[in-house]
Amino acid sequence: MIKSIKIGALAVAGALALAACSGGSDSAGGDALVVGTDLPVQGASADASKSTNEVVALVLEQAGGKAGDYTVEIKEYDDSTAAKGAWDDAACAKNAQDHVANTAEVAVMGTYNSGCAKIIIPVLNQAGMLMVSHANTYPGLTIEWDKGEPGLYYPSGARNYARVIAHDGFQGTAAAQFLFNEQGVKTLAVLDDTQAYGIGISDAVQIEFEKLGGTVLRYSWDIKAGAINTSTFEKIKAGGATAVYYGGIFDNNGVQLVKDKTAVMGDNTVTLAMSPDGFSGYQTLREMPEAEGLWMTFAGKSLDGIKKGGGAPAKFVEDYIAKYGYEPNSSYAMYGGVAMQVIMKAIAASDGTRQGVLDAVFAGEQICLTAEESVSGMGFCLNQESGDVDTVTMTLQQMTAGVETDIKTLDIK
Amino acid sequence: MSNNSAAAHTLATSNRKWAIGFTSVVSIIFLLNVFILPNSNTQVQRFFNAWFSLTSMAEIMIWVLMALGLNIIVGYAGLLDLGYVAFWALGGYVAGWLMSPFLSNFQINFFGNAREGFEFGIHFHVFFVLILGGVFTAIWGVIIGGPTLRLKSDYLALVTLGFGEIIPQFMLNGSDIGGLNVTNGAQGIGGLDEINLFGYVIGTFAMPEKFLMVSLLAGGMIFFSIRLRDGRLGRAWLAIREDELAASMMGVPLWRTKFSSYAIGAVGGGVGGVAFAILVGGVYADRFNFVISIIILAMVVLGGMGNVWGVVVGAAVLSWINSIGLVQVGELINNTFGTKFNFPSYQFLLFGLLLVLMMLFRREGFIPEARIRMVMNEDKTADEEKLSDETKIGHH
Repeated sequence: MIKSIKIGALAVAGALALAACSGGSDSAGGDALVVGTDLPVQGASADASKSTNEVVALVLEQAGGKAGDYTVEIKEYDDSTAAKGAWDDAACAKNAQDHVANTAEVAVMGTYNSGCAKIIIPVLNQAGMLMVSHANTYPGLTIEWDKGEPGLYYPSGARNYARVIAHDGFQGTAAAQFLFNEQGVKTLAVLDDTQAYGIGISDAVQIEFEKLGGTVLRYSWDIKAGAINTSTFEKIKAGGATAVYYGGIFDNNGVQLVKDKTAVMGDNTVTLAMSPDGFSGYQTLREMPEAEGLWMTFAGKSLDGIKKGGGAPAKFVEDYIAKYGYEPNSSYAMYGGVAMQVIMKAIAASDGTRQGVLDAVFAGEQICLTAEESVSGMGFCLNQESGDVDTVTMTLQQMTAGVETDIKTLDIK
Repeated sequence: MSNNSAAAHTLATSNRKWAIGFTSVVSIIFLLNVFILPNSNTQVQRFFNAWFSLTSMAEIMIWVLMALGLNIIVGYAGLLDLGYVAFWALGGYVAGWLMSPFLSNFQINFFGNAREGFEFGIHFHVFFVLILGGVFTAIWGVIIGGPTLRLKSDYLALVTLGFGEIIPQFMLNGSDIGGLNVTNGAQGIGGLDEINLFGYVIGTFAMPEKFLMVSLLAGGMIFFSIRLRDGRLGRAWLAIREDELAASMMGVPLWRTKFSSYAIGAVGGGVGGVAFAILVGGVYADRFNFVISIIILAMVVLGGMGNVWGVVVGAAVLSWINSIGLVQVGELINNTFGTKFNFPSYQFLLFGLLLVLMMLFRREGFIPEARIRMVMNEDKTADEEKLSDETKIGHH
């Protein structure tokens, strides 16, 4: 027993010595206000998260590390674990507590996954802390969707969450309207990938398409690597669908899905196919002959669109390339920068407290970014009741010669 | 004193020491977070929050619960279960169904703590939910175990693997079962009620209380594990594990004994699932994948299969490494040596390396059970003797 006590005492002494030497792992501190970024740094989204953190850091650097009179520092949080290789609910719960426990932290930029946001928002809400996401597209976080939403996420009764990206409702609506009104599709097959994002966006397409008077054949595709979906497409063909909507993420066995659709229903000139931004940015898809002619939507401006748009947003991309030596990994990374700009505006307009920063978004003068100052090139104001952007720029793209080519942008109010 | 009673006395003393150690660690963590850290300087607070945050400590206790449950099946009865995550999922969904507004067609409040404006749904008191979670998973343990436990070794492992895939897939796709939304699919069930203990509400930020609660559950599981192992049923499990044929010849009812290990082991998963859902505030189907089953199995094997305290240590170490350990060690190395390694990207590699090293140099686990150590040493001795004999033959 004495031996155990000695070992325990040594462990505690060692731990305290480490504390003294390492200065902790928290690089942010001092009198500066801290903005936390909460992203999955491990697994499939690691590259996108790295890029997002870099864009956020560059936004702050170009502002001289200040928001108004306040010095701002960034603290990066990881909401994924090695075991899952993706966002982890326990890591999200831990981060939520850590954000609140860090008294210098006034706002959170993130999360990437809507599921993680569902866990963090209620905790921050009870601490009166602002959260601005660049990538959560699940509608129920801000608007009525499932029963009890979005109130379920706001126990205090007041809002504390905003996002700078359009929710799936907008993207689904735009896709349904394009297919019905511009392409004359009357019977549409909507396939979801059984994941949160895929189901949300597929629901939105179905609701709008049926509202327009069309018929929807709804299926799920088998997302296991290499699983064949030809029988599903046979049913779709028999049902008389003249177009297919892939509601989900290309990572989820998208290669096989696109091949199977072509094998059964012909290429995209025979049976039109459309996808959301879950299919954007994949080199494998671009190289597939079966993907030629695929229609796509992106909720916001694509990276290509930002560069071609010129002005300050294009210059920002150039500065990023000059600093890091490569392009931002995804368009979502740029929206991470936009979320940071919103937070910095809120800090500048605040008294430097958490409540002050929160009030600057939901109670004070409306936070707006012009198209010129926003690093995404998209101007908007934040709706103080929902936390959503009031203007949605939707980019309609088509795969042409292996390139996602911008066809037009739609501003949806 | 006979040899048997001397051995029993030594075991009891050892258990007492470990129990005191466990209670001391829990008490120190609790007191540290309630009384000392809030009054410490920021540097010390940051250190403990980064390396030993209370949320992670609570999570460790849940992994301990899970690992002890699986230890009954794998460590005691020797039945390889590769789908234990299914019980975690079932427990979690019991909490989701009985402690949230999710089943909105009902409006039942049984000593629950429904949030104002969200009285619809089912709201049971956490105490009942823990019991029902345990009972529900035990029933499922029986349902799954019944037809499968007649199988042996690899075949049993494959069938459990199948169930470990089926149940989470059901949860993931359960938003439309004959028109009924049973699990809310990939969206999961959020907004679980806060715990109300006789008027004292354990709110979102009451982490010390939540830590204490899960530690009590883990402590209870440790107690039951030890008592079960030392009892008649436990001895029957161990007999089956060592030699099924011999156990059968000695009159141990094989099927019934295996069956009970599966049902009782499942309870750990169910109770842990409920506790985890409460800690996170919801239940999300994304969590329940094959990797989690393997991690729990690794905790049992690395800790010391069959040894309760070994499994506790194994679960604590692996859980800590997975949640914060590797990230923090990486940051420490970067801060100390000025390197800019993206440590998280090597986590899979390091985690795997640790497992391989353990299997190479200490395959009986951190704290092996006496019998398993003996068997391992017997193998080693036999190998050495064989090698020695072969060498001698070679010399001749």
